[in-house]
Amino acid sequence: MKTLNDYSKIFRRYDLETEKAGAAKTVSTDPVLQKIAQFVVNGDEEGILPAVQEALKTKSPLDVINGALIAGMNEVSRLWDEGVYFLPQVILSSDAMNVGIAECEKAMGKAMSRKAKVVTHTAEGDIHDIGQVIVNALLNANGFEVINLGADVPVDKVVSAVKEHRPVMVTGTALMTTTMTAFPKIAHQLKLAGIEIPFVCGGGAVSEEYVTSFELGIWGKEASQAPGMAEDALSGDNWQTMRGKWNG
Amino acid sequence: MARQIITQMAYKSGEEMMFGTAKKPVTTKRGMVIGGGYVHPEVVPHPRPGSEKTKKALLREYERANGDALERMVIVGHPTLQVENEHIFQMTHNPEWGGEIAAQTAKQMDDYKAKYGLIAAYRATVADLRKPDMHDMRESDYTREVIASFEQCAKYADIVSIESMGGKEIFDHAIIRNDIAGILFGIGVLGAIDMEWMWDQIVAIAKKNNCIPGGDTNCSEANTAMFMAGGLISKDVPHVFAALARAIAASRTLVAYECGATGPTKDCAYEDPIIKAMAGVPISTEGKTSACAHSDLCGNLIMAVCDMWSNEAVEYHDMFGATTTSVFAEILGYDCAMLNTAIELGYQQQMKEILVNSDMYRDSHSLILAPNNAWEIGNAIVSNRSKGNYASARAGAMKAGEIIMNDPKMKLTGIEKEALTKAMKDLEALPDKEGDFIDMCLKKYKNVKGFSPKSYGL
Repeated sequence: MKTLNDYSKIFRRYDLETEKAGAAKTVSTDPVLQKIAQFVVNGDEEGILPAVQEALKTKSPLDVINGALIAGMNEVSRLWDEGVYFLPQVILSSDAMNVGIAECEKAMGKAMSRKAKVVTHTAEGDIHDIGQVIVNALLNANGFEVINLGADVPVDKVVSAVKEHRPVMVTGTALMTTTMTAFPKIAHQLKLAGIEIPFVCGGGAVSEEYVTSFELGIWGKEASQAPGMAEDALSGDNWQTMRGKWNG
Repeated sequence: MARQIITQMAYKSGEEMMFGTAKKPVTTKRGMVIGGGYVHPEVVPHPRPGSEKTKKALLREYERANGDALERMVIVGHPTLQVENEHIFQMTHNPEWGGEIAAQTAKQMDDYKAKYGLIAAYRATVADLRKPDMHDMRESDYTREVIASFEQCAKYADIVSIESMGGKEIFDHAIIRNDIAGILFGIGVLGAIDMEWMWDQIVAIAKKNNCIPGGDTNCSEANTAMFMAGGLISKDVPHVFAALARAIAASRTLVAYECGATGPTKDCAYEDPIIKAMAGVPISTEGKTSACAHSDLCGNLIMAVCDMWSNEAVEYHDMFGATTTSVFAEILGYDCAMLNTAIELGYQQQMKEILVNSDMYRDSHSLILAPNNAWEIGNAIVSNRSKGNYASARAGAMKAGEIIMNDPKMKLTGIEKEALTKAMKDLEALPDKEGDFIDMCLKKYKNVKGFSPKSYGL
């Protein structure tokens, strides 16, 4: 088959032209904490456990959590935001951080306090939940407690979970336009119950036009926006303010 | 029929493969010969939100959406059209809904044939409602609904197909962790096992109803990888991982044709050029015309060896020119007219070269789907087929990786190179024997949410 040698007039490889380089910065002057942070940065789920166990002999669990585990995760988030890291590196780092946090929680005898709760679900009739899985991981990595309702979740179950857990935000994921029709029903029921929290909806064919057509709805374009949106909700922004910031 | 594994390539080389012609053409009820020398359009209407609320509303929606496409063929003079309806949840959850829509569309097609001589065909693609981490894949209400839907649709449709979900629970866990072993286990092993179980039944139902058992697609996994890899500036999944997942998917999707499926293959199976090389069945592909549903980086290249040309899915609504299904049916028909003109003028080789060169080095995923490379990957799969699902899928992935690494014109970013090097090293280090690999994976993934080896007979 005849092939060209020069493709520059046919397509342009923006990925090669805009490739970013970068490395994680040191997050602690304490070598023990820095070592743990590095395991988080490297996404090393196996290596981190003995390092945390060793650290807990001389340091408090909260020092390990804040000075190493969360500090390391913040560095990973920075590298992702800057386009240096891919999503899998963030997920692997989150996995490693969770192993460390579980060990610290064991030492404390109680769960680490989280910033706030977020209820997440994938719409009834829809089983395409990988977007929700990513949202869950990113929220968790950013210090939120995720109430994960899973996929194919009936409207009433979402509303009940919100009433029970009182989250700062609820999210809905759908791939199909014919399943996203559950979202306005949820928003309506929440309104009737007097719960006016931000309801972030996204995924597949879910459009901004659709989500902003009902009260409470805020369109989530990318899973990566979820932590920022949750921070806004936590800071007291209502759904109208958030819609103004993230949509339109 | 019992699965008969394919151990010999249908084509002698990628050069031999051509659009419009397949080694094993298929003829539909109203006489469309697919893979018999010319390319045919396949349009895929999708209903508007809200129309799913009642059977009556959905029947009316499809009557209009499918009917508009048929009418447009006559208006602009396109000789053939296949309409595919990919079931929404409600059509499979209520099997009679899908059946009635198939019957209604078949009647419309009969009317257009009687009135104008238009040759049309209908493909019903049943929704696989079985989410592996939520339902037993073999024993659940959703499983029974899927099978019942095939029974209903096969009575009226020309072709039945599915996008089966086996192994997705492991794949979803693995793809966001750059875990090539998990991708191999999810798609290449679990997906293949589930397909064999499912396709034995689908083929039997189709044969009983004089219906064509079309094919399957790894949409739920390899396409998820491709969409997550996204465009050139996306940072969700390395593109090389999507390319390796695609090669593994070819090994998995081949199972349908080993179980008696005959094609036309499912349009969204981007592994189809590899399938055609191995099985010789006519393939339906989609590229630039499916930008209405999703983006890809092989919009022209994927057309190079197609037998049907599709648009993935377009929601039914108005555009300036007409409704979306009319517009896309017209576009697809003109694309096919261009390809068929190239055939009639004897320019098909040149046309193929134009299509391939357009995108071959746009992305590593595109590179492995160029016909010559697709053939090489197929050959690696088929040469290892007698050793089992795992060995052939692994061989396909390794061949794809070698193709990407060894082609000096294929430029990769540093992070893509690093991801590929690591994946190839991991693939190399895996056990040789399928039993050892499965044992390793059952242990490694035992805590993945909802994973039930029993669903796969393990």
